[in-house]
Amino acid sequence: MPQTSILPQLIINGLIAGAIYALAASGFSLVYYVVKFLNFAQGAIITFSAYMFFLFFSLLHLSYILSGILSIMSSILLIIIVNVIVYKPLRKRKATNVVLMISSLALLIFSSSFVLAIFGSTTKIISSKNFNRTYDFGIFTITAIQTTIILSTLILFFILFLVLKKTKLGKAMRALADNKEAAQVVGINPERIYAYTFLIASVLGSIAGILIGLEQNLYPRMGVPLIVKGFISAVVGGVNSVPGAVIGGFFIGLAENLGIWFLPSGYKDVVSFAVLLLFLLIKPYGILGVKARDT
Amino acid sequence: MIHEYLIQLLTIISIYAIAVTSLNLTMGFTGLINLGHMVFFGIGAYASALLTLNGVPWYFAMLIAGILASVLGIAIAAITARLKGDYLAMVTLGLVFIAIAVSRNWISLTRGALGLPGVPDIIRNNFYYMVLCMSIAGICIFIFYKLINSQTGRVFQAIRDDETAAAVLGKNTYFYKIISMAVSTFFAAIAGSLLVHHINFIDPTIFDLEFLVVIVTILVAGGLASIKGSVISVFALLALSEAMRFVLVSPALIGPVREMMFEVILILILLFKPKGIFGKVDV
Repeated sequence: MPQTSILPQLIINGLIAGAIYALAASGFSLVYYVVKFLNFAQGAIITFSAYMFFLFFSLLHLSYILSGILSIMSSILLIIIVNVIVYKPLRKRKATNVVLMISSLALLIFSSSFVLAIFGSTTKIISSKNFNRTYDFGIFTITAIQTTIILSTLILFFILFLVLKKTKLGKAMRALADNKEAAQVVGINPERIYAYTFLIASVLGSIAGILIGLEQNLYPRMGVPLIVKGFISAVVGGVNSVPGAVIGGFFIGLAENLGIWFLPSGYKDVVSFAVLLLFLLIKPYGILGVKARDT
Repeated sequence: MIHEYLIQLLTIISIYAIAVTSLNLTMGFTGLINLGHMVFFGIGAYASALLTLNGVPWYFAMLIAGILASVLGIAIAAITARLKGDYLAMVTLGLVFIAIAVSRNWISLTRGALGLPGVPDIIRNNFYYMVLCMSIAGICIFIFYKLINSQTGRVFQAIRDDETAAAVLGKNTYFYKIISMAVSTFFAAIAGSLLVHHINFIDPTIFDLEFLVVIVTILVAGGLASIKGSVISVFALLALSEAMRFVLVSPALIGPVREMMFEVILILILLFKPKGIFGKVDV
């Protein structure tokens, strides 16, 4: 019988992992919701932003606020370039969502090869004394950066929710997601809204990259497992629903960490995929998802 | 006598030709977006390696590897038959990460990340091994030609073009999708098995996405639903990839630059020539 005393720590670990997955999933799901394709290049944004932060903070010794802003800005620049060079021409020639997905997969693997060529294969660590301070609550411990991850994730999701529900941009996004033709009829320019959607998604991905870079290590392929978890979270939560993706992220994070109770920790990935397969078989549209008209 | 380097290259080309044409059967001819093709390739390699390391003769090991992959392929096809497009891609991509996790953690069977060294050669002489690989590739391509020009092959293509219409005409599309997947995965495992006896080593990196992107690039560049395209594309792209070895000065850069080359080619083809060189259908 597993010990019950480690349960609070496992829940905390699950929440931290969940926050990270939810961050990766939210940008992924936002693009799927509005632009309607599986954008694996979101993982490239995460890797790129983490390495940019490493460059500005650890190599150029800038302050972490400035490094953070510069990393987010470079991620935005990257997604604008990708959108203009790859996604926009593909949409123009009415490529199917499978083509867009395969090209985004190619971009994701390209980013890891590129980072490997520039920064080398060695693992990088962003070290800072402030972030590694540990708080011991008796039943569980948590570091400063982990607290930051959970808090900033919650704040970000609140802002994202407000943007989607209250602003004109959010309304245009939802209109476009529901019915592209009708949205165009009332004067919404899809290309403009798509560009904003990629921009918001890249900010979410960039912040995810920075926070993950501070908590864990950096290596060229870091974006791949993260976007896979983000994608599982999005599917489990309902790939057509941004709040669903957030819930899915926390759900997968908790499921994986509570799974350690019964299984060796190396099987974390198997737990999340078992959950994914279970959902695809029983509830393919996820926790909050609605059946899409065209799959 | 052919030069040793050329022998190595032709062996690898034959193995890739089997892997790419078998993926063409599901992705090109039947329209099933199978991103888990390398899982079946890897399972074939692992099964063949483990069996021959335990004294099973290679031809028997290769057959069992093929059947094992095929059974898994049938199971996956049966589960995912009602899913289309995005969702099928998601499940098969998910399979890749399950394969990575299992091969890394089932230490007693696969030795985890250490991999399995010392997989025995089938034939000591590299030249005869090349001939064996080329013959198997030839047989495999011949079978695919026969299959796609048969009645079954026409049903595959009908499913790709319009599944509902094929079903309306009384074809059991569920059954045909399973057949397509079973044949494709069988040959993927054969290719994996040939590779592992060539390099005499296997570890979980065989399931890496980089490898999948290489295979998908070759497939898309040659053109979906064209066996001829796939074969020519394997020759052209692998020769190009080998040429990188002579262009680049720093050996540390060869790996990443080769990968980037494939990814850039894939994106360029998708952008400017979505039908590939000989393809009949859009991606």
